[in-house]
Amino acid sequence: MAAVCIASRVLTKKVLSSKALPAVSQSSRKLHFSIYGKSNAKVSDGISTQYPVVDHEFDAVVVGAGGAGLRAAFGLSEAGFNTACVTKLFPTRSHTVAAQGGINAALGNMENDDWRWHFYDTVKGSDWLGDQDAIHYMTEQAPHAVVELENFGMPFSRTDDGKIYQRAFGGQSLKYGKGGQAHRCCCVADRTGHSLLHTLYGRSLRYDTSYFVEYFALDLLMEDGECKGVIALCMEDGSIHRFRSKNTVIATGGYGRTYFSCTSAHTSTGDGNAMVTRAGLPCQDLEFVQFHPTGIYGAGCLITEGCRGEGGILINSEGERFMERYAPNAKDLASRDVVSRSITIEIREGRGCGPEKDHAYLQLHHLPPQQLATRLPGISETAMIFAGVDVTKEPIPVLPTVHYNMGGIPTNYKGQVTRSTLVPIFFIHPQVQKGKKCRLGSTVARTSAVPQAFFYCGCLSCSPQVITHTPEEGDKVVPGLFACGEAACASVHGANRLGANSLLDLVVFGRACAHTITDICTPGEKLSPLKPNAGEESVANLDRLRFANGSLRTSEIRLNMQKTMQNHAAVFRTGKVLKEGCDKMDAVYQTLDDIKTFDRGIVWNTDLVETLELQNLMLNAVQTINSAEQRQESRGAHSREDFKDREDEYDYTKPLAGQQRKPIEQHWRKHTLSTVDPKTGKVTLKYRPVIDNSLDAEDCAAVPPAIRSY
Amino acid sequence: MSLLRVCAFTSKRLNTQLLFVDLSFAGCLRTASGAAKDKEPLRKAKTPQGRFDMDDEKPKDPLQKFPDDVNPATKEQGGPRGPEPTRYGDWERKGRCVDF
Repeated sequence: MAAVCIASRVLTKKVLSSKALPAVSQSSRKLHFSIYGKSNAKVSDGISTQYPVVDHEFDAVVVGAGGAGLRAAFGLSEAGFNTACVTKLFPTRSHTVAAQGGINAALGNMENDDWRWHFYDTVKGSDWLGDQDAIHYMTEQAPHAVVELENFGMPFSRTDDGKIYQRAFGGQSLKYGKGGQAHRCCCVADRTGHSLLHTLYGRSLRYDTSYFVEYFALDLLMEDGECKGVIALCMEDGSIHRFRSKNTVIATGGYGRTYFSCTSAHTSTGDGNAMVTRAGLPCQDLEFVQFHPTGIYGAGCLITEGCRGEGGILINSEGERFMERYAPNAKDLASRDVVSRSITIEIREGRGCGPEKDHAYLQLHHLPPQQLATRLPGISETAMIFAGVDVTKEPIPVLPTVHYNMGGIPTNYKGQVTRSTLVPIFFIHPQVQKGKKCRLGSTVARTSAVPQAFFYCGCLSCSPQVITHTPEEGDKVVPGLFACGEAACASVHGANRLGANSLLDLVVFGRACAHTITDICTPGEKLSPLKPNAGEESVANLDRLRFANGSLRTSEIRLNMQKTMQNHAAVFRTGKVLKEGCDKMDAVYQTLDDIKTFDRGIVWNTDLVETLELQNLMLNAVQTINSAEQRQESRGAHSREDFKDREDEYDYTKPLAGQQRKPIEQHWRKHTLSTVDPKTGKVTLKYRPVIDNSLDAEDCAAVPPAIRSY
Repeated sequence: MSLLRVCAFTSKRLNTQLLFVDLSFAGCLRTASGAAKDKEPLRKAKTPQGRFDMDDEKPKDPLQKFPDDVNPATKEQGGPRGPEPTRYGDWERKGRCVDF
């Protein structure tokens, strides 16, 4: 269809224009390129004569086209907004495609289920660091989100009677933890993420979203504390583009690549977090990084715990089964964090394997090969492809690997990036009569006069707006800026993410961003004026990196950073190790001034793009390690050897009666907000209280903190 | 010899595990000493054309599809092939864990 359009457009241009265009070629969708120059964009010299800038105007810009970005982009297009989706990768290549597992939703197909139980499980899983209003929103919207995806065409696996098949997955229980294992995880064979992405992309093509694929977003255009758009580099032809819009949604994903061993794609470089940091806004809870104990050294894929369950053992360079020392009873079947910490301690004490003594071995060759083949089919293939070993003869090199970042851009439950005004806790604006049940089955709590485009979300209008925080005024929204997905910290995952909740997080908050923007703005609104030289610093930085002529290559600095983070900010954290790591990271950050790039061109300059990504990674890394060093407790994924307990406002191991509530400065049940001065690399930390109220106390009571034990 | 050096050099630059270097080293040695192996026929390189000449059977997929795509134990239709991925508490597939 597109080819016909282009062909006919070319033909009609060649032929004299008096002939009328055939109807089929009058497509309403504008391609981001057109044969004879950009259609509605203007070129300006506002920043520099060397780098002419193309200016675009849109109603909304979404940065990132993974699960969350695509959902937000086409949600906005569906509502009639002129939306641009700026992405450095083709949408179906985003890292969401690697998520094989499923989506949690309390549909109740396998047994009686209630989203309030899912709410409880998620709050408990987050170790009470998650904001309960956001978790309430996510778990209540989960069934609707999954049904909506199914209506878009996502081929979930089914039960006999045609309902979506749900399987059991860790951390999900019935009746607030007392009713046994819940079956909530809906999946599409073993490729849920892949299927989700393809479904969303296919669906988005129905609407008029303009895709700007392989455009690397450099920075946000901020003026007077308001976000007015994004400036991006088109990798294909080296031109700079400014996308002006009233609403910017950041959905750029996580930053796994700050660590030496991670499962993330090479493109997971925390670009959104860095853009927000450079704009002077804080990032939240970056010290919470999820590790898996056995990831293949070098490749980064994870080896299942089932290997140890079937009899595999972990050995160090001396051939000793070291888990016997750390967990005498459970040995290799100890819990994940114990195993991760044990491997790290062995490596730190010099008993690591390999030439650099930086990993351990997982030995499976003492097991009978037939048993391996029946119980763990395919493992010999995996080991051969990713580790290059024959699993029946040699051990697999493994080390603890990063696979998810809980932290990110702080948003309220509505998705707005917050700054410091009070967000009313019971802010709901349904557009129907109080007491009526909306199509989704929730009861409307209040009435309002504003008509809403989407009836089915009339009960809870939740929008992921970015926030900042001051102690005097509380959370305040940064106008024009939103975030969703792994890049945002809403925070639904708190200190630890439950499996199968991350795909849910993507779709729910992607949709929520679209709804908030629909509620606040109308399509076609006039944009506020922007300085003609907005984005100057980004282009100056680009120019500096393009002609950088120091002595260290990008890959060397990146490796230094990754090794430092892996050795100091990984699973094993103590005050001394973290302090050492902070100093080393500071030194590595300073070496960024001495960087050398080789490609001086501007067209498809991957050296330049990797260097920009390295700058982004560095900002994330310094914040992660500094936040971890300051947080003196163990909570969820952040566990410290010198502070093994959780520190809350009360001591929840004892009865509460008679205990004095500690002020917020003296306990750690609070979010970390970190900012960096990009020139010096100095990190400043502030804190923000956790939101403990759910959106509607009558509908779903908030869960008071307790000791987390499974 | 230069082939060896190039192999070793690029491997070092890429900083992958030592095993990879070993494998490529061994591979290079084998090709370099081709003259000694004239008793065995030299294996043809797998160029696109060469690949179709040999009748290599495709390796069998360790995960068999269920009949009619219905899992007999759980009656799930369209689900993942092979044993239940969540049996070890994480999502396991061909020995790899996917922590989504």
